Amino acid sequence: MLEIKHTLCPSCSVGCGINVVLNDGEIVGTFPYKRHPVNAGKNCLNGRNSIDCYKNKFDDVDADSLISDISKELNSASDVTVICSGNSSVDEIEAIKEFAQSKGYNIGFYADNLKNYDDVASYDDVENAEKVFVIGDLLYENPLIGRRIVHAKQNGAKIFAFVNAEASVTFNIADECFNDSVAEFLDAAKDNIDESSVLVFNQIDSVDDLDKIDALGCKLLPVFSKSNSKGALSLLEPKSKEEMFELLDNTKVLLVFNDDIADELEYDFSKLSKIISFAPCSNKTTEISDIVVPIKTWLEKDGSFVNAMGETQSFNAAIESDALSEIEVIEKLNG
Amino acid sequence: MADDLKIVGLLCNWCCYGGADTAGTARMQYPPNIRIIRVMCSGRISPSMVFKAFQEGADGVFVGGCHIGDCHYDAGNYKWSRRSKIVEDILEEFGIEKERFRHEWISASEGEKFKTTMEEFHKTLSALGPLELE
Amino acid sequence: MSYVLAKSQNEDIHKAGECGGAVTSILKYLLDEEIVDGVLAISPCDDVYDGIPTFVTDSQDLMKTAGSYHCAPTMIGDLVQKYLFDKKIAVTAKPCDMRAIEELIIRHKINKDNIYVIGLNCGGTVPPVAGRKMIDLFYEADPDDVVSEEIDKGQFIIELADGTEEAVKIHDLENEGYGRRTNCQRCDVKIPRKANIACGNWGAEDGWTFIEINDEKGQEMIDGAKKAGILETKNPAEPAIEGRKKVEGIMIKMANKIQDKMYPTVSEMDEWNRCISCYACRDVCPICWCYENCELNKPFFKDEQNVPPTPIAFQGVRLSHMSFSCVDCGQCDDVCPMDIPVSLIFDKLQKKYFNRTGYVAGVSDDIKPPLYSPEKTEL
Repeated sequence: MLEIKHTLCPSCSVGCGINVVLNDGEIVGTFPYKRHPVNAGKNCLNGRNSIDCYKNKFDDVDADSLISDISKELNSASDVTVICSGNSSVDEIEAIKEFAQSKGYNIGFYADNLKNYDDVASYDDVENAEKVFVIGDLLYENPLIGRRIVHAKQNGAKIFAFVNAEASVTFNIADECFNDSVAEFLDAAKDNIDESSVLVFNQIDSVDDLDKIDALGCKLLPVFSKSNSKGALSLLEPKSKEEMFELLDNTKVLLVFNDDIADELEYDFSKLSKIISFAPCSNKTTEISDIVVPIKTWLEKDGSFVNAMGETQSFNAAIESDALSEIEVIEKLNG
Repeated sequence: MADDLKIVGLLCNWCCYGGADTAGTARMQYPPNIRIIRVMCSGRISPSMVFKAFQEGADGVFVGGCHIGDCHYDAGNYKWSRRSKIVEDILEEFGIEKERFRHEWISASEGEKFKTTMEEFHKTLSALGPLELE
Repeated sequence: MSYVLAKSQNEDIHKAGECGGAVTSILKYLLDEEIVDGVLAISPCDDVYDGIPTFVTDSQDLMKTAGSYHCAPTMIGDLVQKYLFDKKIAVTAKPCDMRAIEELIIRHKINKDNIYVIGLNCGGTVPPVAGRKMIDLFYEADPDDVVSEEIDKGQFIIELADGTEEAVKIHDLENEGYGRRTNCQRCDVKIPRKANIACGNWGAEDGWTFIEINDEKGQEMIDGAKKAGILETKNPAEPAIEGRKKVEGIMIKMANKIQDKMYPTVSEMDEWNRCISCYACRDVCPICWCYENCELNKPFFKDEQNVPPTPIAFQGVRLSHMSFSCVDCGQCDDVCPMDIPVSLIFDKLQKKYFNRTGYVAGVSDDIKPPLYSPEKTEL
């Protein structure tokens, strides 16, 4: 039986809608969700491949025995750190936070070295800006924000871009291109920026750049690499790269909730005595983990993500499954 | 520089490649800019091969096959001739002059024709200059 | 080929459907008589702007597919091909859907014997998100209050919950960059004559659907539905047939005008420089069915470092594979994250091919596009 269902794209914080195609109870493909206000049916390659995570999900295991092993491990452990990320939905992050706090564990939350801003520019603000300043290859990395920058350009805006490369597709639509350092770009931008400008960025070189960005006085739109980083930021304090390394240095047991921290941070994870991962499918972190508990993909549960412009978007399970959700994992860990 | 012009030649094994051979053994002089790739039949050449050649820096692409009626695989050159029209139509739209793409029927005995074709093609390309893709 | 006017004998369907509910009635007949296993039709999901293909196997559920949706630029060709190949089905199809189905039948990707096509005449579709913005800007109405919309006599008409109607000339909307999708503006196939029957309101009296019966299978469908007591038909008067012809003619003329305006712009396109090689255009294309075997996936064309790709080595290759079969459905435009008007060049190349060969993709009776034929002819 063929069925098409709405869901959200989990590949970055833009918050695109995407339809999934179900045939005889299995997810078999994606289909454009043209009614969705964020992306009007357009999805990048990552978005269309996002269902691979479901197709390649771990086989069912005896989760109860795994979790009782983990509980035993945790009872005797000290210096436990919980890794929480924008891959989890709002409710899950709340549950993970409460769990970590009640047990006295550290929380490691990394949001691309960026931080939270209460007021952010909307995607329409980007389109209607007179000047758009861009840090990162937004057109390539977050195409559905990139599209808004293209619209701005078509509306007559001037585009200033920093990309850490000789050539990039973002440069192709930019009026002025920079590739030395974010600091240099921001210094040059200072004189050009006014209230009608928007700065869109998905990376910085170092945390010092954040102070420079604060001083600009224009609308900001940070774009994160995970679907709910923005939602997580309103619940958790993000750590910078250096702070994450420091935290890991003081950690013996690492509990990773639906994240691929090993891919994100260049750190010698073999220094840790135990890594426990809760993940729907294989990634770099699960490969180095001592225990891996399969959990639901976003397609198998209800929840909500907050997109880069601060809009909460909810999604419903597209398909049923017996795997545990992150909240169920925590309930079981709590006994 | 006319001497630096790169021509990729896709020549059918049975006819045009033989024609080039004939021109060579008879020591005919013609511009040496062509890089020949021997294929079994012009019918096995797809438009994407021509496009790939342009993408990789060819200034001109030449395709040589058997005369109509002489195809060693019956109808390969008919297929190529229909395909070549699509190649022209597509090149035009991407700002590549269709003169940069040429195809000719040359038999194994027609060394002279191969020579004059090369001379003409080289002249055309020299006038157009090197190809610059955006 | 013959014409009839038809309407539903079923009261509920007559009320819910467009123009007397003939299409829904025929679908119900096909399902109830078990002539087909299921029906693939469009139904609104969240609201009238959110039409999505829905597979119905129980005729009770057909009601939700009744009515017509102009803000639903969907494509069903690839769905049929990928997921319904082995099922006996009936589908509703706009001309571009039908043309895609026909091209896939030629490629042995859809089994002609397994599919009943109820064609729908189409003057064009409106993209949902831009359509809502358009209603906000050009109509004194909240897009959320719109309960239905239709295109009639050159106007895009919306009906609000309180029963009031508002109309704006499509021409005026399109001058401002709204209105129908650009591929629809260019489209000169308004009646899907490869479908078993082609239905619409052009030339029809109020409450009736004008049906062009294109083949035997179509005739059997109408006769069967009549015999089952669900469909009532009568012969259209001569002026109705003429009126329909006139509407079609005007639409085609308008399309030709827009073609003449748009085709020359192709060689000037600089939008390719923002292509991010995401392959969305290829993956959504109903004619492209090679998937992982696509030549663009071969190591000699796959060049992840090279973004944007050289147009000739990306779109050029795709064009050479299938532009002669482009049905101008505009899906590639719709899904391009960078808003590159991809379909324009494909459509233009199909027109060039038509000028050389007389082949219209998904419309001509040729068994194969001449490019594939073993004929000993030159162009």
